[in-house]
Amino acid sequence: MKIAQVAGFLGSGKTTFLIELAKILVDRGHRIAIIVNDVGEINVDAKFIEMYGLKAKEISGGCICCQVAGNFANTIAILYNTFKPDIVIVEPSGVAIPWGLKRAAEYSEEEMDDVIVHAPVITLVDSLRIEELMQSVRRLVETQIREADVVFINKVDSATKEKIDLSVQFSKAINPNAEIMFGSGRNNQGVKEAATLIETRTSPRYDESYEKEMLKRDYGGGA
Amino acid sequence: MTEKMTHIERVLASLGDQPVDRLTVYPIACGVSRRTIGDGTMLYKDWCSDPKNYAQGLISGQKYFDLDLTVGLMDLSVIAGDFGSHVRMDEQNTPFVDDPVIKGPEDYEKLQAPDINKGRSGVILEGTKIFADALKNETITSGFLEGPLLALTQSASAEKVFMDMYNNRSAVHKALGTFTEYLRDMVKGMGQSKPAACMWDYLWASYSCLGDNEYDEFEGQYKYAGGLNELVGKEGMALAIHNCADLPHLDTQIKAMKPAAYTMAYYPLIPGSPSASEVIGKGYADNCVVCGNIDPQGYVRWSQEKMQKTTMNLCQEVKTALCARGLKSKYCIASGCEVPPSVTTRLENIKTMVDTVKQYGQVTC
Repeated sequence: MKIAQVAGFLGSGKTTFLIELAKILVDRGHRIAIIVNDVGEINVDAKFIEMYGLKAKEISGGCICCQVAGNFANTIAILYNTFKPDIVIVEPSGVAIPWGLKRAAEYSEEEMDDVIVHAPVITLVDSLRIEELMQSVRRLVETQIREADVVFINKVDSATKEKIDLSVQFSKAINPNAEIMFGSGRNNQGVKEAATLIETRTSPRYDESYEKEMLKRDYGGGA
Repeated sequence: MTEKMTHIERVLASLGDQPVDRLTVYPIACGVSRRTIGDGTMLYKDWCSDPKNYAQGLISGQKYFDLDLTVGLMDLSVIAGDFGSHVRMDEQNTPFVDDPVIKGPEDYEKLQAPDINKGRSGVILEGTKIFADALKNETITSGFLEGPLLALTQSASAEKVFMDMYNNRSAVHKALGTFTEYLRDMVKGMGQSKPAACMWDYLWASYSCLGDNEYDEFEGQYKYAGGLNELVGKEGMALAIHNCADLPHLDTQIKAMKPAAYTMAYYPLIPGSPSASEVIGKGYADNCVVCGNIDPQGYVRWSQEKMQKTTMNLCQEVKTALCARGLKSKYCIASGCEVPPSVTTRLENIKTMVDTVKQYGQVTC
């Protein structure tokens, strides 16, 4: 089962993006579940969920190292055991750290007979509000970009070239290894390409990365 | 195993960096301790909503695991719930806010502080009095309170608060002022309960979230937290701080706030996340007992062998770093955050950690 994280700060267009993403993946024959990690509300419209035969779950509360990890793992295992999705799209809160959710997702393997594979972590950057984000929640946005495999510069249909360029510069300065994509969830621009990326590519597992880091620390050379 | 020092002697020696028979040990086993009562079936919701159950769990857990310390940590939705947020209270899951009281910017200024003796804040105050009294000759005890910024983010949603720090700054400050006043009353109430220490959860002091200036403005030593920290001392309690963030503000929270103890986590995959040896090597344990940093999920997921090996490795790392720094005992082998209170947490792993420190925690520089 593949876990696809769509990260990004509040207002970055995550919900619109993931709905369009889910539609495309369903049309391509996938069985899709959605998990939102937010306080107080499931943003995904219930009719949409019914119409597309999706499954949506909410996960919330506590801190990721001790409390949320267990709840999240359990939610994934329940989804697998009751719905058997082949891709689970996860919309973490803007204060969640993607590796923490990777780790928690892998814990679900103890409760199901399948292996977790991660799709590339996609972090949405709101190009329309880039200056405001750089002022206000800069560190949180930086954290999510740093953890991304792909930075999706969103709302490019409405943003000026200067703002799009600034979004790219900002993202590349933080994570030069991330792949940059451009689009707009609202107009379905770039979403098909993101769906293909989720279908065809993977991101490293947490446990493998962790062991490698610990070996490097203990023995100095890495795995 | 007979030990040469009592729990209290060991902790006091560690606070003063005096020689100890072994390092202090404290898996932050709070909610999970309810499972050491009777037949082990007490529900989390019954533990966290009744002062006698809450205290009984902590007292029983101290004896069952033979802990050097006892801290009254409950879940992080206590204050938000008492201020009017709806808390989802499943039987065994950790409770969490599912309908925050602050829904829009206008709500920050409408917050009304409740009576500290009502709701689950009242459970904490009454329960702390019970366990602090029962354990006063056994261990060093500490009450536990959420810091003002944590109480606020639980009452709104962290993302909204972080945006509003910029867009609605004065409203956020108004709300933080309300929480701080409430917490001043809580500290006074805690002082009446007479634990030896009061531990704050100031978890937003993380460079992943806030820089020094923002943290200083919205919680910091010279803002809301500073006055609360000072009040803890005036009420006769030692100051302790818990922060399980990936990139904690150690200069502010250890060097400026000057707690007697500081509990922290370690995230090996986050560049810059400080390990135990780095924290000791950079002098943060010179005047503060630093506590950390075993992965809390290890208590649920690992075998006893892995827990033992991890604890041994941490003991060795800490002993080497303490000796290199010229320190004797200013580190407590602890979990990086609360041991998950879930029913799947392996109690034997908590015991294994404690027993491993007893066996391998001797400091001989």
